[in-house]
Amino acid sequence: MKRWIGVGLALLLGGAVVLALVLGNSGGSGGGGGGGTKQLTTVRGVIGSEKKPFFDDAQVQAAFAKHGLRVEVDTAGSRQIATSVDLGKYAFAFPSSVPAAEKIRQERRASRTYSPFYSPMAIATFQPIVDVLTKAGVVHDSGSGYQVLDIKKYLDLVAKGTRWDALPGNTTYRARKRVLLTTTDVRTSNSAAMYLAMTSYVANGDDVVNSSAQAATVAEKVSPLFLDQGYSESSSEAPFEDYLAMGAGKTPMVVIYEAQYASRLFAADGAIRPDMRLIYPSPTVLSKHTLVPFTDQAAEVGRLLQEDPEFARLEARYGFRTADPKVFAGLVASAKAQIPGSLVDVVEPPTYDHLERLIATIERRYLAGAKPTS
Amino acid sequence: MRRLAAAATLAVLVAATACSRGGDTPDTPGRLPDGPDVLRVLAGSEVKDLEPLLKEAAGAVGVKVALTYTGTLDGAEQVASGGADGHYDATWFSSNRYLSLIDGANAKLSTQTKVMVSPVVLGLKKTKAHALGWDTRQVTWADIAAAAKDRKFTFGMTNPASSNSGFSALVGVTAALSNAGEALDKAQIAAATPKLKQFFSAQTLTAGSSGWLADAYAKTSSVDGLINYESVLLGLQSRLKEPLTIVYPSDGVVTADYPLTLLASSAKKDLYGKLATWLRTPDVQRKIMTTTYRRPIVPEVRPDQRFGTAQLLELPFPNRRSAADELISAYLNQVRRPSRTLFVLDTSGSMRGDRIDALKQALAALTGADTSVSGQFSRFRNRETVTLLPFNSAPGTPRTFTVPERDATPVLGQIRSYGEDLDAGGGTAIYDSLRAAYELAARQGNGGDFTSIVLMTDGDNTDGASYDDFASYYATTSRNVRTFVVLFGDSDVAEMKQVAALTGGATFDARSGSLASAFKEIRGYQ
Repeated sequence: MKRWIGVGLALLLGGAVVLALVLGNSGGSGGGGGGGTKQLTTVRGVIGSEKKPFFDDAQVQAAFAKHGLRVEVDTAGSRQIATSVDLGKYAFAFPSSVPAAEKIRQERRASRTYSPFYSPMAIATFQPIVDVLTKAGVVHDSGSGYQVLDIKKYLDLVAKGTRWDALPGNTTYRARKRVLLTTTDVRTSNSAAMYLAMTSYVANGDDVVNSSAQAATVAEKVSPLFLDQGYSESSSEAPFEDYLAMGAGKTPMVVIYEAQYASRLFAADGAIRPDMRLIYPSPTVLSKHTLVPFTDQAAEVGRLLQEDPEFARLEARYGFRTADPKVFAGLVASAKAQIPGSLVDVVEPPTYDHLERLIATIERRYLAGAKPTS
Repeated sequence: MRRLAAAATLAVLVAATACSRGGDTPDTPGRLPDGPDVLRVLAGSEVKDLEPLLKEAAGAVGVKVALTYTGTLDGAEQVASGGADGHYDATWFSSNRYLSLIDGANAKLSTQTKVMVSPVVLGLKKTKAHALGWDTRQVTWADIAAAAKDRKFTFGMTNPASSNSGFSALVGVTAALSNAGEALDKAQIAAATPKLKQFFSAQTLTAGSSGWLADAYAKTSSVDGLINYESVLLGLQSRLKEPLTIVYPSDGVVTADYPLTLLASSAKKDLYGKLATWLRTPDVQRKIMTTTYRRPIVPEVRPDQRFGTAQLLELPFPNRRSAADELISAYLNQVRRPSRTLFVLDTSGSMRGDRIDALKQALAALTGADTSVSGQFSRFRNRETVTLLPFNSAPGTPRTFTVPERDATPVLGQIRSYGEDLDAGGGTAIYDSLRAAYELAARQGNGGDFTSIVLMTDGDNTDGASYDDFASYYATTSRNVRTFVVLFGDSDVAEMKQVAALTGGATFDARSGSLASAFKEIRGYQ
């Protein structure tokens, strides 16, 4: 009996697909329009997980439907998208960084890319942690309306194996564990790769890593930032979720996309509680979400995301900064959010090959049975 | 179209493998009817308490959840090796951390959605906690270890190779006692081993699953506390004569986050998405909190006052499989108190042929022939005393082996050859033989904390004492040795369940599965 049901459903689905194909559907799976009579063209993409809530949003889907499009997405880490994901199944890839997008563009010989929005890397933390790190000289005011974590001083602290309870004047967060920013797994996740971009810049004497020799030396220096954390999650949503739900005990400070924090503030859903703080690493890098289209419809998706004001408004609601800074600034103002209009100390990530070399070196350290004492 | 699909499968009920606890089978694998609205989930038994809530998912979002339960390492191996592909759509363990450390496992996993949170902590009898002063001041794992060393309290914990709560507790205790601020590696584990030995010298109860451990604790008065999920401890309170004081060690805990995880091989992504989204709606999160004592994962719902206000520091978790495996191996072979295991093995005429071969295989697997990681963790452990007592019309001559602390291989080899020489013939004197095992255990002495008996028989009792005779005899013993019964061939299920219930053991079904996997599962309880 169960087989019959399966066959029946497959027939129904099959019918829908055939209908959709007849009407010019280029995607894999069918599906009716949202109540309208117009048939939608399905465009399937693979994206970084942090953009999934945006694509799942009913208003975003309705905005695409106005243009005859239905966008379906699967999520994967940006590095996976650039290396292991079978892109043949998709009409576009939408990783969260320029290096990954550039790699995909070259390999797939895409004629152009779209960078509709970006988000600076930031650190979600708590006021007591900010106070402790300020006393330790690691956090200070940028002079531009936001606080920064000095990556150079942070690297020094990590190199010494400093624990929270060894920080002078720390009476509020007496943890015996090491002072380490929580990140995602650098082997799979873009947000950790962006963190690697900024820390490698500082470890390389304030210069973007641009040779294999530099990559090798720098990777050794920064690998404890990742390895000493222990287990890390593979997607950028997970540690931020821990931060929101479990607080400073689990995640005293976590490297995130600014958009993750901003979207919660804009939604005013109560997730950001009074003692939570958003600070920025100095230097920071921008995660430029870059869409690589493989079909004309996918190019239209990219164009809409980049040029259409309706999409810009929706993107900003998810905390992304778009080409016109007024859209994001308007939301910041109406939410009375403590988010700066612009950041001063921003550096470029290494090229794909150098970033990949850095990650690969750290990956080998994971595979090695033992790690040297740091 | 949606309405059609729903109507067509109206007959499919929420299918969850039946399992009752206590003297009953810990886990019964069941075949579940698949269907377009059925999400097949390979789960840890930890999420069993969500079954009532999951039934609501059918009405709320049209997803029927079929749960099949498995142990932590077994499940992880199944997923990583691809064995779960095609049979399951998703996994739901209390944590994906160990699984993620296995080479190639991440490629098998798609979206992961954390559903709820529960830290692994210590629950201690109220009077005991008060006597130790742990009800009023901050306590560290080092404090707990010091009291354990002096035997100021005793506790139960699950086997880290079978159950995630035991594994998480082991990681937490080791991380805290090693005094390492970063993730554990082999050197730190070796350095912490003497301290761990002291800590676990107070462990007097073990089990292959968190739920079974809690049940066993509720039935005994000789154990002072439990290391388990906060949720299990809070849920247990109403069943206890003396409530537990929950101790949140101030130097940190390891927290389970129960990620519902889509398998990359599954085509039921939409169904998965519906269930995952539903589970995270504020209403469902609140229900999870009130009915299962887990902390909510969505920030919109805040934990209520039952969870206390202590800040829970999370201890770093190993990021290499070698470290995780080393830790489990150290626990089993060096740290924990050794166990004494008696196998009462039916070698009657009905065992001839395939059955005796299966028995030989199952025994060989426990001597190291099962080379999978979970197999290696279920082998006879260093320092373990193993007695094999074959029987037919009468109990045979027992043969006892003690696996040495170092270089276990020669003795394991002896056990294997002894098993290979077993022969089938004669009648079935179950209760005379079981009694002989109890008498032997009493003669061997040693408190009996980790002494247990495995009874394997494939048929009815034909010779000697009856079950009632045995029950009268059992009442005269110290009654602290559990019998784990393997149902095999044509064994008398009702009577075998009675034996398990009488002795506080459990039954394990090898009638449909293999004898080797039943033996392996029992190892979690020994």
